[in-house]
Amino acid sequence: MMRNDPIKHVFIWPAVLVVLAISIFPLIYSLTTSFLSYRLIPPIPPRVVWLGNYVTLLQEPRFWNALFTTTLIALIAVGLQYAIGFGIALALNARVPGERLFRVALLLPMLLAPVAVALVARMIFNPTMGPLNQFLSKFGLVNLPFLTNGHWALACIIAVEVWQWTPFIILMMLAGLQTLPEDVYEAAELENASAWQQFWGITFPMMLPISAAVVFIRLIESYKIMDTVFVMTGGGPGVDTETLTLFAYQEGFKKFNLGYTSALSFLFLIAITIIGVTYLALLRPHLEKRR
Amino acid sequence: MLRRTFLMLTTSLAMACAAGQANAACSPDYTGVTLTVASQTGPYIASALKLGADEWAKKTCGKVNVVEFPWSELYPKIATSLTASDATFDLVSFAPAWLPDFVPYLSEMPKEMQSGKDWDDIEPAYRERLMVWEGKIYSQSMDGDVHTYTYRTDLFSDPKEKDAFKAKYGYDLAPPKTWKQYLDIAEFFQRPDKGLWGTAEAFRRGGQQFWFFFSHAAAYANNPNYPGAMFFDPETMDAQINNPGWVKGLEEYIRASKLGPPNALNFSFGEVNAAVAGGQVAESIGWGDTGVIAADPKQSKISGKVGSAMLPGSDEIWNAKSKKWDKFPSVIPGPFMAFGGWQIAVPKAGKNQQAAWDFVKTLTSPAVSGQAAITGGSGVNPYRKSHTANLELWSKIFTPQEAKEYLGAQSDSINAKNVALDMRLPGYFSYTEVVEIELGKALAGQTTPQAALDAMAKEWNRLTDEFGRAKQLAAYRAAMGLPPKN
Repeated sequence: MMRNDPIKHVFIWPAVLVVLAISIFPLIYSLTTSFLSYRLIPPIPPRVVWLGNYVTLLQEPRFWNALFTTTLIALIAVGLQYAIGFGIALALNARVPGERLFRVALLLPMLLAPVAVALVARMIFNPTMGPLNQFLSKFGLVNLPFLTNGHWALACIIAVEVWQWTPFIILMMLAGLQTLPEDVYEAAELENASAWQQFWGITFPMMLPISAAVVFIRLIESYKIMDTVFVMTGGGPGVDTETLTLFAYQEGFKKFNLGYTSALSFLFLIAITIIGVTYLALLRPHLEKRR
Repeated sequence: MLRRTFLMLTTSLAMACAAGQANAACSPDYTGVTLTVASQTGPYIASALKLGADEWAKKTCGKVNVVEFPWSELYPKIATSLTASDATFDLVSFAPAWLPDFVPYLSEMPKEMQSGKDWDDIEPAYRERLMVWEGKIYSQSMDGDVHTYTYRTDLFSDPKEKDAFKAKYGYDLAPPKTWKQYLDIAEFFQRPDKGLWGTAEAFRRGGQQFWFFFSHAAAYANNPNYPGAMFFDPETMDAQINNPGWVKGLEEYIRASKLGPPNALNFSFGEVNAAVAGGQVAESIGWGDTGVIAADPKQSKISGKVGSAMLPGSDEIWNAKSKKWDKFPSVIPGPFMAFGGWQIAVPKAGKNQQAAWDFVKTLTSPAVSGQAAITGGSGVNPYRKSHTANLELWSKIFTPQEAKEYLGAQSDSINAKNVALDMRLPGYFSYTEVVEIELGKALAGQTTPQAALDAMAKEWNRLTDEFGRAKQLAAYRAAMGLPPKN
């Protein structure tokens, strides 16, 4: 087939049209809606407000609160997931006895539906009837307001996120650790390098590219957290645990404020893009050093 | 050949008779029709719908499929289906407050259902007010809702308790006439070391919390001298939720949260009922379910010791017009028709509208609804005159004294001169969302009652302007039973 053979259009255009229809068109439609004042309930005819929804949102303390809460959950949860996950992956890679059983058992949380996990967590953390408070009360401790106090509720959500998604880090890091060349470690052993020196001098730098990718994936996923928060706290008490996606859900599916919700989604997209680009820019020098 | 023809004729005749008998059993015959009803997750209301479904199936041979959604998801599920004009649901059960949002998508009740003995049996508060929107009937009440007061008669009649209470507060221990007395009683019985607490109310966001707050505020903000001004000024549509009457109501609601079991802040109405039935609290406010559940020996530790009364009131009520407290010669009880009772309606897009309205007729008939009303956990409270008049029906679950107090409280509240109606307004969810958020902050001590109410009023005024002040004013006046403004 020649480079300028017209037959290429037959193969390319259907794919282009499919991409346009299922990906680009909804995005453009959503962007257009974000410039409208548009409510389904009570029905108000669409009216162009240009950047009005964006300006309102940026002046809305609830938006900044949701952004802060989401960022807090994402950064703390992913940081803990990475530290714990990497540690467990190192242990599993060291061929401890019963390693296979541990590997399967540790991966189980990741396979569960987040809604089911959140439901179980809600029962465990239930301040009045939950087993955790009942256990604590056996030692004479007072009932802790796990889900009724903002700080405690945030800590509970982060704990559930860490419990559920650390296995993903374990899986990826273990796969990475198993590809590391053994001769480097043998050479280090000959040089009498301690385990700690081997970790910081060999393992960590060689695992940096995969670490960067894994943390990036988890960070983006954590910013989209919705189900766990929805089930455990519904965003409360007040709006103390309300995340960006939950805020968008409340505006879109409870108040049917479509224009505002579309603007919120695009601000969310911009925020995630800025965070992603900053993260990659910060890591780039270290990654390039590895090449 | 003749014999064969005779046999065939006989068989055909027998089959025709059998079919005739089967059809006669189905009246009207809806064989093959399956109705889908949207409901909140059971047992509340969903079980009542299933009870009605069984009766309807026996009568008509049709089927009813009750699809359940959690309370917090019910509004978006119904709204999404209605606005898309799809025929997912043949019937929808919902809060009266949502009616203004749903009206454009609902079919009108057939005229023949709007008259007769069963129709007249419905309490006027529902038939003439909550079921009506802009002069038309789009829905049928399937539950009656008014907040009442519940207390433990064993504690209130104990001579030791009575003496100790009188010595401490200087008046007799009895169902409270004012909210101050209500809080005194709660404080008096606050004995955590003995597993007894003062009161139980709903305080959790998404747990029917704001109706309990409205009940407190109704005593101070629903002024008979300026009717319909509890939520908004009916002349200007300015929000009233931050006036001094509401501030007093919120201060007392917050005080009540501190006189309940540990973690009462996490209570929804379900937990309130559990606390009352478990004998954990001396008193409580809430819907009629509380009394029915507390009286049921299978579900309750205080069966036979359940007292009921109207909600407390006040002799001082804020006047939104004069912007002053009006003083009354005696305490005016402040019953509040919180929520207003579940309603059921038939969407315009439904494919089985005739069958659907027939199901409504069976579900809300005096016999079926009366049975639901005395079933603990059905979520159905009295809304027909026959429900409260039939003492024999209630003797199945209550002692005579319990029945007398319970039915008296229900009937007196609904028919009280100064009964406060719940807010019904287009965009209802937008209005109540900010209430829930700010209540959460005020209950947690993150903001003062006045600041929380100011934030609510600001958002209510903004929403009113966004939705159209004139349109909202007309809707609000209609909801409060006031004539249109010229």
